[in-house]
Amino acid sequence: MRRSRLWGRLFYGVTGFSAAMPLLVLLVIGGVLFYDAYPAWRFQGFSFFTGIDWNMGNMYANGPMTQNGVQAAPGASFGILPFIVGTLGSSLIALLLGVPVAVLTAFALVYRVPSRVAAVLSPLIELLAGIPSVVYGLWALAVLAPFVEFQLGPWLATLGHVVPYLAGPVGTGLGMLTSGLVLGVMIVPIIAATTRDLLLQVPRLPMEGALALGMTPAECLRFIALPYIRRGLFGAIILGWGRALGETMAVLMISGNADNYTPPNLYSPISTMASTIATLLDSALTDFSGMAVHALALIAVTLLIITMLTNLFARLMMQLGSRDIGVEVS
Amino acid sequence: MKTAIKGVMLAVTAALTLGIAGYSQGDAGIAMAKTTTHARAASKAKSTAVVKLQETGSTLLFPLFQLWAPAYRKVAPSVELTPNGTGSGVGIAQASAGVVQIGASDAYMSNEQLMKSPGMLNIPMAISAQQIMYKIPGVPAKDHLHLTGNVIAQIFLGKIGYWNAPQIQDLNKGIKLPHMAITPIHRHDGSGDTFLFTQFMTDTNAQWAKTVMYGTSVSWPTVRGALDAVGNQGVVQVAERTPGSIAYVGISWLNKALSGGMGEAMLQNRAGHFLLPTEQTIAAAAKVMIGATPKDERISLIYAPGANSYPIINYEYAIINEKQSGATTAAAVKSLLLWAISPMGGNKQSFMSQVHFLPLPPSIYPLSKAQIDEIHA
Repeated sequence: MRRSRLWGRLFYGVTGFSAAMPLLVLLVIGGVLFYDAYPAWRFQGFSFFTGIDWNMGNMYANGPMTQNGVQAAPGASFGILPFIVGTLGSSLIALLLGVPVAVLTAFALVYRVPSRVAAVLSPLIELLAGIPSVVYGLWALAVLAPFVEFQLGPWLATLGHVVPYLAGPVGTGLGMLTSGLVLGVMIVPIIAATTRDLLLQVPRLPMEGALALGMTPAECLRFIALPYIRRGLFGAIILGWGRALGETMAVLMISGNADNYTPPNLYSPISTMASTIATLLDSALTDFSGMAVHALALIAVTLLIITMLTNLFARLMMQLGSRDIGVEVS
Repeated sequence: MKTAIKGVMLAVTAALTLGIAGYSQGDAGIAMAKTTTHARAASKAKSTAVVKLQETGSTLLFPLFQLWAPAYRKVAPSVELTPNGTGSGVGIAQASAGVVQIGASDAYMSNEQLMKSPGMLNIPMAISAQQIMYKIPGVPAKDHLHLTGNVIAQIFLGKIGYWNAPQIQDLNKGIKLPHMAITPIHRHDGSGDTFLFTQFMTDTNAQWAKTVMYGTSVSWPTVRGALDAVGNQGVVQVAERTPGSIAYVGISWLNKALSGGMGEAMLQNRAGHFLLPTEQTIAAAAKVMIGATPKDERISLIYAPGANSYPIINYEYAIINEKQSGATTAAAVKSLLLWAISPMGGNKQSFMSQVHFLPLPPSIYPLSKAQIDEIHA
């Protein structure tokens, strides 16, 4: 009798601790990051987000400089606007290209492909999500970048007089467009898999009814399935967006890693927040004032906040989406 | 609390940078995995009385330490050296924090860093060099372009935009250079190679010395079309596929870049001669600079005087805290370093040629020995 009570308590304790773990980890990471980023916020203030000049300062100077009561290497200035633009720009291109492909893939899997084939294809799509990003990066460097440089880029540039942002020079194929394309490929599996699960929730009856009324498959998707899963789909897209925002390695290899300028056209080299943290950390450690590391931590905080907001938003949308089952009939 | 936070940050840092290092040096990463399993097997056999030494830092020095680890195991079976390639900044930071016994760095520590962590020693382990490479279609590899530091600086500052600009054409009278845009390629990550290159630029161009200056990472001047890459491997990959490119590449990547169709520039030294980095020209430059090397051995060897001195060479450093955690560790670090700088031990030609380094000149030995003698418990 006693023993079972002891077990019961132990069980409560262990499960309680395990349940609290994600929150604790998040709190610790957040706490450490905020603690480490604060001096950089004091040093740079709001111009951290609007400045385009990133300079860790002269690390071999004799003596630091003081600004707003904190010390940094002389000449230091931390503006991350180019990294923000690069991160958002490349991930939005990814959404633009990835979302239609993912949604149509999911639609095909659920409605058009024989269920036996779908049983083979569905796991394959999930497998795509498991490919390490460095492999995507290598593929992009070897195949995609030359394609953008010699085929896609020059063709898009001819539209330059309609949309000025598309105008050349196309450059070397390492830049925003290629990064966006790769990210687009990388987010297809996550969006397609989620959308497929959503479409499976759509009741058969309205779909069959629509077909019986003579709607084409495209019309069925547009007028029955999509309105039904609208909010959930929105959540799935945001999930994919979060993946694109945080991707480091693949982008690092093909972004061209621009310094100190925002991309003047679609093909220009960019840097993203995640790749900047990864590449500059080693140098930042040699900053005797320690400010460079604080600045990188502040980039991490910025990225963390953006991804957390998008994720929270996505969760909310998904919940609303699954609750909203009634199809409007008017 | 503060140290705990620092510890966490360092761990995160190490993990992150290790990731990069692993990506930029695929072969080295595989080899590293091999050494650690090997070391683990050895430590299982006799877990007591083994002194464990951790080395971390420069990815350029990492292959050398990998050669040294098993070789030194035969010399001193009780010492287990575990090398890690993480980056020079991590090497300096972790050696200063006492997390590792040996840090490896391509750049010496700054005065300010030494003031923050007094008692750190910068001990040269070998000599390395860097070359300037380019990809210009139609210019055969045997026609080594003649370039000066000043002209290269103007290219990287965006003042010279085309390969047939008069400043470049005047240096290369016999070669027909195309009217092709120059694409400068820099290292995006912090790097000893950037340190050497920007020091050379600082020594040869007044505007560079005033604005960009030098360091393992600098704020690059904005040049239209300029590209950044990560790691020497990344630089070579990007430069090879970009006609019109110019890049600085560590000497250990010379063969790889040449086989990819890159050209190697002859650089003008302080005496005005144009030279390629060869064993003779690197040794000549090192020899000239020994007299100028101070007691703490922190010195730039860039742009050395002398008719036959190649202009971009440097010492590769081991970063050591003179106060080690215990008498056995201190003794083990001391004897390892003495073996490493000895021409009969770690500085043997057979080790050096494998990683394209040059052994230290014999006359530098007393200076390094004096520094190693300062290590204590």
